Amino acid sequence: MSTDNVQSDVDEGSSRFSLATWDRIKHTERFIVLASACFVLLFSYLFGRAPVVSDVLRGYHGLTMTVLIWAIFALGFNLLLGRTGLLSFGHAMFFGTASYATALFAIHVFNDPLVIVLFGTLTATALGAVAAVILLRLHTVYFAIVTLAIGQFLYFLANNPLEPITRGINGLSVSREPVLGIVELDHQYGGLLGELVVNNLYLFIGAFFVGVVALVVRIRKSPYGLIFKAIRENETRSTFVGLDVWRYKFAAFVISGAITGLAGGLMVVHTQFAGVERLYWAVSGDVVVMAVLGGLGTIAGPVIGAFVWFYFEGIVNGMPTIGNYWLLLLALSFTTVVWVYPDGIWGLITAATRELRDPEGLVAKVTGQGVDGSNAEESEGGDRS
Amino acid sequence: MTLGSVVGFVFIALSVASLYLLVAIGLSIVFGSLKYVNMAHGVLYLGGAYVGLLIASEEQFGGLLSDAGAVGLGWGFVPALILTPVVIFVLGVAMERLLAKPFYDRDLLDQLLVTFGVLIAAQEVVAIVFGRTGTIYPRPEWLSGAISLPVIGTPPGMAAASSIRVLVVTLTLLLVGVIFAFFKYTDYGLAVRAGTEDAEMARMLGIRVDRPFLLIFALGAAYAGLAGVLGGSLFNVTSGIGMEIIIPSLVIVIMGGVGSLRGTVVGSLLAGIVFAVATVVNPSMTQASIYLLAIVVLTIRPSGIYPSAEIGQ
Repeated sequence: MSTDNVQSDVDEGSSRFSLATWDRIKHTERFIVLASACFVLLFSYLFGRAPVVSDVLRGYHGLTMTVLIWAIFALGFNLLLGRTGLLSFGHAMFFGTASYATALFAIHVFNDPLVIVLFGTLTATALGAVAAVILLRLHTVYFAIVTLAIGQFLYFLANNPLEPITRGINGLSVSREPVLGIVELDHQYGGLLGELVVNNLYLFIGAFFVGVVALVVRIRKSPYGLIFKAIRENETRSTFVGLDVWRYKFAAFVISGAITGLAGGLMVVHTQFAGVERLYWAVSGDVVVMAVLGGLGTIAGPVIGAFVWFYFEGIVNGMPTIGNYWLLLLALSFTTVVWVYPDGIWGLITAATRELRDPEGLVAKVTGQGVDGSNAEESEGGDRS
Repeated sequence: MTLGSVVGFVFIALSVASLYLLVAIGLSIVFGSLKYVNMAHGVLYLGGAYVGLLIASEEQFGGLLSDAGAVGLGWGFVPALILTPVVIFVLGVAMERLLAKPFYDRDLLDQLLVTFGVLIAAQEVVAIVFGRTGTIYPRPEWLSGAISLPVIGTPPGMAAASSIRVLVVTLTLLLVGVIFAFFKYTDYGLAVRAGTEDAEMARMLGIRVDRPFLLIFALGAAYAGLAGVLGGSLFNVTSGIGMEIIIPSLVIVIMGGVGSLRGTVVGSLLAGIVFAVATVVNPSMTQASIYLLAIVVLTIRPSGIYPSAEIGQ
């Protein structure tokens, strides 16, 4: 896209910072990571404590951490479905298993937030490697249903036969210890930092969020990640050009599971609790809804999806009349999105900004490939089928 | 084990298998012939359970209906058994036309996602209208006892071989026979098989595949609706049962081999047996065992027990 946009920049003879420059930088790796860091810094303030905005939104600080954790989950899920085209209906298995691993490690071995989260992530990675051996021989619906079956199997396993270890529906409580014995996660900040991030726990989760965004962008921009996309577009052709498709699917599955496991571990640090409901199919369903609603195959999409979901669950839920209908509203919008607008909310936003910038489609004509190229990158959820 | 407990054990296995089979058979036919994967099939089971409840009892519901007093008709169990499949048949026709048809040519993943969304939405509607707490079917007196079997008599101390389970198994056997006969002997069945092999070619030959497809879709729906009534009389009825039944049913369909009726029957039977064995040996494993079975089967045979079977077999 770069040459075309630079060309149009010269043609228009516009100011130093033109839309074309913006187009160029907004897809660079560094910008996306920086933007996600800014998002983390401002999100809690805007949502919970900013004068006008948060009065309208009625948000609160605790919810922002939940959103960030689920955004990590959705990013991990989306790496599999959005990039590789594998729909997992059982991603709760990573979330829940990592939760348990994290909690059990903290209770029985050593309780340091960093270490336990790392252990949870590693457990999810191992689970991913084992499950992939069964799953990757299966196609589309088979894959989706069998991931669901494995997830449900683990749920019922944790629920009953393993009750002595998991304590069934009562779950496991985990105390929150300082990171590396020094950094107190519950420490509240004053002043500007207090306004922005409130406490260390938010920073802890936010740092992981930025890290995951960086990892996902890295994968997307690398040739390795491009092969994921190639497999989604045409698996047979990918095989014929000499790619070991199984290996790449395996990698995508395991990485996706690991990121989800990280979210599961963070959830234990955040809620100080691990319970069996994190393995339930509904968790897998929720993350599917989030990723698809927000916009499949993008980075902003899953984050928006997670936000919308928890906004509805945490805040719309409590509103007088429509509160009762929050899940119905979400389910209907999810269905509508899959049915008529597969690009999701983020796709809607990018389409709207394109429209705003260029009501008559002039830019599209002039810079043709440039704009289209960037769009394909942004809204590739649309061309899934 | 006494003879009585063996009989009871067999009937637990068979009745659970029957429920799964009644739901899975519609899924399997539609998946196999129309290449349409329908998670919203769970709506039909859920609908069947609640329609049956409305017909059978003078139930006081929660939710929006909490002020309505007794809203059920109170006509009893037998009218519910007969009328519910009819109502759900009509619902099935509507579902095929409105939800399924626009998606026949689209990606399987889109079908899966849309029908999943519809299922969640439908469950929410039911929860809002009828309340979120569970309800129990009023079981008629003649169905609440244990049945007296020829030769053996009443199995001693085994309520598991109760009349209701016998009814479930008998009805299912009958209905599965109907489906097999439908595919084997009727022109509609032939048209469906032709349409499955090559829809375009069948159309060229002057076969209208549209209507047979609609018919089997609705037939599968009616089966699921009946399963809703029968399942409701065995277990609790809540707004979440659509999802609860569709997950094992889909797993069974995949395990049996998509589109293979034989596979669906065998898969359901296996699931029922495993369910019953687990109930006796280690009750805590009951629900996990079905999924374990599916995982093991699909690890050994990734395309199911009867892969690539022709529709109607």
